[in-house]
Formats: sequence, C-alpha cells, structure tokens
Amino acid sequence: MAGSVRQPSSSRSSVGYFAALAVVGLSSSIGWFVFGQSEIADVAMALLLGVVVVSTRFGHGPSLLAATLSAFVFEFCFLPPYFSLAISNLRHIVTFAVMLVVAFVISHLSKRVHDQADAARDNERRTASLYAVSRELGLAVSLDEILLVAARHLRELFDARAAILLPTGDDQVAPAFVDWDLGGASGEAEEQALEPSRGAGTLSREVREMALWTWRRQLPAGVGTAEFPGTRARVVPLLGSRGAVGVLALFPSWPMRMDDPVEQELLDALAGVVGLALERTRLAEQARRAALWVETEQLRDALLSSVSHDLRTPLAVVTGATSALLAEFAPRDEKSRRTLLETAHREALRLNRLVRNLLDMARVEGGALRVRKDPQPLEEVIGAALHRLEDRLRGRDVETSIPADLPLVPFDSVLVEQVLVNLLENATKYTPEGSPIDVSAVLRDGEVETAVGDRGPGVAPSEVERVFEKFYRSREGEGGGVGLGLPICRGIVGAHGGRIWVADRPGGGASFHFTLPMAGGEARV
Amino acid sequence: MGRQVGDMTEKQPLVLVIEDEADMRTFARIALAAHGYRMIEASTAAEGIEQATHHHPDLVLLDLGLPDADGSEVTRRLREWSTVPILVISARGNEDAKVKALDDGADDYMTKPFGAAEMMARVRVAIRHAARSAAEPPAVVLIGDDIRVDIARRNVTVRGEEVHLTPIEFKLLATLVRHAGMVLTHRHLLEEVWGPGHGTEMQYLRVYMTQLRHKLERKPARPKYLMTEPGIGYRLRLET
Repeated sequence: MAGSVRQPSSSRSSVGYFAALAVVGLSSSIGWFVFGQSEIADVAMALLLGVVVVSTRFGHGPSLLAATLSAFVFEFCFLPPYFSLAISNLRHIVTFAVMLVVAFVISHLSKRVHDQADAARDNERRTASLYAVSRELGLAVSLDEILLVAARHLRELFDARAAILLPTGDDQVAPAFVDWDLGGASGEAEEQALEPSRGAGTLSREVREMALWTWRRQLPAGVGTAEFPGTRARVVPLLGSRGAVGVLALFPSWPMRMDDPVEQELLDALAGVVGLALERTRLAEQARRAALWVETEQLRDALLSSVSHDLRTPLAVVTGATSALLAEFAPRDEKSRRTLLETAHREALRLNRLVRNLLDMARVEGGALRVRKDPQPLEEVIGAALHRLEDRLRGRDVETSIPADLPLVPFDSVLVEQVLVNLLENATKYTPEGSPIDVSAVLRDGEVETAVGDRGPGVAPSEVERVFEKFYRSREGEGGGVGLGLPICRGIVGAHGGRIWVADRPGGGASFHFTLPMAGGEARV
Repeated sequence: MGRQVGDMTEKQPLVLVIEDEADMRTFARIALAAHGYRMIEASTAAEGIEQATHHHPDLVLLDLGLPDADGSEVTRRLREWSTVPILVISARGNEDAKVKALDDGADDYMTKPFGAAEMMARVRVAIRHAARSAAEPPAVVLIGDDIRVDIARRNVTVRGEEVHLTPIEFKLLATLVRHAGMVLTHRHLLEEVWGPGHGTEMQYLRVYMTQLRHKLERKPARPKYLMTEPGIGYRLRLET
C-alpha cells in the first residue's frame, strides 16, 4: 500500500498527454479516410470517439487536450476552406461549435466518473485499513503491542513515522513509543529507509511542545493547522470514549499530504481506533488491579481470622480454667483443681509457641533477620535442638548420623537451631507417637545437606510446595500450630543462602532437607 | 522500696529479685517462699543496687529489661564489690544482652517465660556453686553415672575405662567442672583455658569441645552432659 493514489505522478500524466496526441492523430486519420466518401458528421463522430477514448482512459487534462485538438483538426482539415482556420460557411461554424462543446462535455463527464471511482477506491482502502487496524488492536493485549501495531499501520498508510505520547499524571505527556529517531526529524529532510524499530527513538523539543499543546487542548496541531507552522509533523489527540488518552505525532515523508482533508480524516479515524484500544488496556489494567486488591484483602482477612482464632482459643481456655478456680463455687477436690491448672498451663505454653512463631515470622519477613555466620560443628547445633525438645521426643528413637570428618560449617547457630527445632517439632506433630526420627547430614557439592526424616504418613505430592507457605496447615487443628514453622525455616535457610524442601522417604515417611553453603563464612576471629 | 518477706530464720538463703513487673515478683515470691527461701525485691536498678548493699543477698535474680538501666550495668556495679551469684532473666531472641551480662559477671540466665521448677533449679545450682567456690575444690567429681574426673591426678575414666585427654582438653573439662551446672560463655571459657587475650578464637574452643564430647559422651550428637547453648556458650550438666 505504500505510495498513495493521491500522490500526483508527473510521468503518468505526461503519458496521458502523449496518448491524447496519439489518439487524436488516429481519430483524425480515420476521419481523413472516411472524408469524401461520407457525410462531414461521420468525420466529427470519429473525432469525438477519440475524445471519448482519451477521457475515459487518461483523465481530465489529456481529455481537454484531446477535445481542443480534435476541434481544431476538424476545423483545419475537414471544414472549407481546408487547411485554414477560417470558416466560410455559417453551417460549418455551428458544426465546429457543437463539436467543441460535445468534446468538452464528454471530457468533463468522464472526469467525474474517474473522480468517483477514485473516491470509492480511497474509501475502500481507508475502510480496509481501519478494519485491519481495529482487528489487530483488538488482538493486542499489552500496551506495547498496541503501540507497535499502531506505528506499523501509520507507517504503511501514511508513509510516515509515528510517535505516541502518553499522559504521566501531572498534566504532562511523555513519549511511550517513538518510531525511529525523531530527534531532528522536523526541519531537515531525511531520506532514510523506514525500518521497523522498537520504538525507542527520541523526540525533538518542538514535537514535545506540540504534543503538550494538543494534549491540553485536545486539538490537532502542526501540518494542516494554523498551529506550529513550519513543522513537518502533524500531532493529533488519541481520543477514547472519555476524552484524550494520549497524543499521536505523525511525520509523513511527504508532509503536504496532511493538508488534504481526506487524509486528515483518515488519520483522525485511526487515532480514534488507537485511542479506544489504549483506553481498553488501561481499563483492563485497572480492573486487574482492583481484582488483585480484593484478593489480597480476602487473603488478609482469612489470615487474620485464622491467627486470631489460634490466639483466642488458648486464651479462652486459660481464662476459663483460671476463672473456674477463682469462682465462688470452685471445685474443692484436688483432682479437678489440678486438671484445670494443667489445662491452663498447657494452653499458656501453646500460646507462647504461637507468639514465638508470629514474632519469628515477622522478623524473617521484616528483613530484621541478622545472620551471623560462624564456622562451627553441625553436630553441636543438632545436639542443642534435640536437647531443647527433650520432653517432646521422649519415647522416640532418635538416630543421628553425621560424618565424623564433616568440616566446620558457617552458620548462625541460634537461627539454625530454630530450623532444626521446627523440623523436629513438626515430625513429632505429624507422626504417630513413638515412631522413630532420624537426623543426618552430608557434605556434597560445596554445601552441607541436613535431613530430618520421619516414618509418618509423608507429605502428599500436592503439598510439597504448599507446606512452606505461610499459614498453610496440612491437617487442621493437629498439634495446634499456626502454619508458620516451615515458612520460618524457609526464611532462615534462605537467609543463609541455602534451600529447603521435603521429599518422600524410601520405606515410608517424609524427610525435610535443608542445605547450608560452605562458602561465605567469614570467621569472626 | 524493698521489703523483707516471710519470717524465716537467718539460715535460709536470701534472694534479691530486681524486676519491674509486679506480677513476676509475686510469682517469684510465692515460688521462693514455697521452697523456704527469703526474698527481698526491687523494681528498678537503682533500688536493686541499694538493696544489695544493705542486705547482702545470697543470690540476685536480675531482669535485663529494667526501665532505668541495662542489666549488664547493674551486673558490673554489683561485681565491683560482690561475688554474689547473679541470675539474669531475659526475653527470647535477646542473646546479645544475655552474653553481655554473662561476660560482665552474671553467672547464669533464664529465658522468659519459665516455670517455677526451672527457676528453683537454677537458683539452687547458683547458690550451691557459690558455696562450692568459696570452699576447697573437691578432688574427684562424678558426671552422671558414667564419668569420673580426678582433678588432682588429671585422670578421667568413662564407664570404668581410662580416657586420655590432651592438656587443653583436660583444662577445658576442669573449667567446666568448676562451673558445673552453670552456663559458660565462649569468651569466659577461652580466657580461662587459653588465657586472657584469646577471648575471640571461637573455632578452637568449638573443635576442642567436639573432641571432648566424642571422648566422653556415648552419643556426641545427643549429649547428656556437655551441652551447647546456641549463641551463648556451653554448660556441663552433672546429672541428667
């Protein structure tokens, strides 16, 4: 489609004039041939036929030439006195006049037919391109795509480069897409071939000013308007359903074409289509954000209700049990009193664990986690964790297998102890009482991998990722955790530069693994 | 203002509780009284130091979260003139403050929340330790049922079999025995075993400690006696 019908072509029109000469020559020859054997009217008919041929094939100018030429050939050759422009007979004057008028009328009529055909073709072209642009913009999902599609079509339809500027929120516009480098485009003629670019060119200050003017007034500027004379660009607003959503600056390789109202209309129509597409993506983005916000709110509500339930339950038990002891009709028998006290104590300890986990999680998430790596034996921290859980591990076989030649590993002992305690606590929570637990470590590929394995029901494949998510609980109510133990582990291990995961164990059960890199332990000596 | 609790005789140990939470003081008072201890209390650091100078308590329970001064400052001021055992109380995750107070002369620590049983065990160990330090050290110490340490003859037997210890290992064990039941910070151990100026060579200590554990413990990864306190130091348990 490059190259326009509207663009006059000097070579084509000169062909028309030569053709007009040739046709008139031919029709004169035919006239000469019939002259003498037939009526003078037949000669006129032959010449008029030539005019008709020229005017239907070659447009207005050549047909006027043919008409004038034919009239004079007719007068010169076929009306007496022959080979003179004088006319002797009044009747022949009438014949010449009729010939002249008919030739001009034919030429004029066929020009109108031509024009109408041209207009219809233009219309068709415009409709087709607008349709193509609309369809492609409809398929474009992202802002970038829309900008690319728009630029490509503008390039093809107008033989032009385009820049699109979008509002920045403070009544300013900034270039979002600049086809080619348009930094100095206004002023000097650039004959570079137009190539697809990624829209990262620059814009001259003048164009930016024009764009801002257009944005604020929502009116076109530049070529074809009274604003910013001397520029080579035409700047139009990109109109959505509720006003401008951006500004389009067009740099046609032949700026004068933008003076044509038909071209201006086409550009406006295109700007409208692009404007609507931009508006659509903007609304879609707003809708997506709104949906995300709602989702986040819902999640937060769910977490809040989960946490508050977990905190309130032990508090309710403590309050209830102690108030029962304090009541006027408190149980007198030692056994009931003791049961109430034990319940209150147990729930208070549970509350303590919950609060501890919440605080740890806040520390891990809030970036307040300070990892102080010290090279040390892994055995020590495993021993410390096992000691801390002595009560909970009572009655279970706990096997440790740590290679004797395992080097010192750089880690933060307080934090890694917490990881081990959480993993061991989980193992006691989710496996049958008395089932064995194994702790092992191995050095491999520059990191030490520690595993806590159990012989419980294992972790379902659908849960291997989710167990590390905050507030996720594999089985409701069991053990009374809030679902923070593993996320805390992940946070701590991650802060050490390690990984944590869960795997099935050969022979049944789950095994939680975490790695600690050997590198990066600056000894504090 | 401090106030003497109970009508105990002078023989019963006197405990000074410096703690700004009234409910915690009440809890301590009841628990201590139940075990036959006398108690005086203070709610600020200044008041606590004053009480200590007047009453010469047998033990100080010191909360590290006092409003008017940080705990290690109180420890330092008490240590200027007194060897009274000091037990510091602190919240979890406050290892730095604990280590600082311990390095400044406190003897042991407890982490809130703690139960009455734990508190009484720590109090007993600390008072007994103070009494032992004042007396002539025993020549032979038994660790659990398994380990016998003859300090004078530098001889250690584990389940009846003699175990060879290097001089540093023995010195380390002897230091732990001397402070049996109490926590010892890394710095404290390093300075006592390797001498002043070696307070930061943590890796030596860890390596020797591991060797000692492998020689004395049945399951070094699950020790019964040579306990690790992550972020703080070590503690020797005489009985499990």
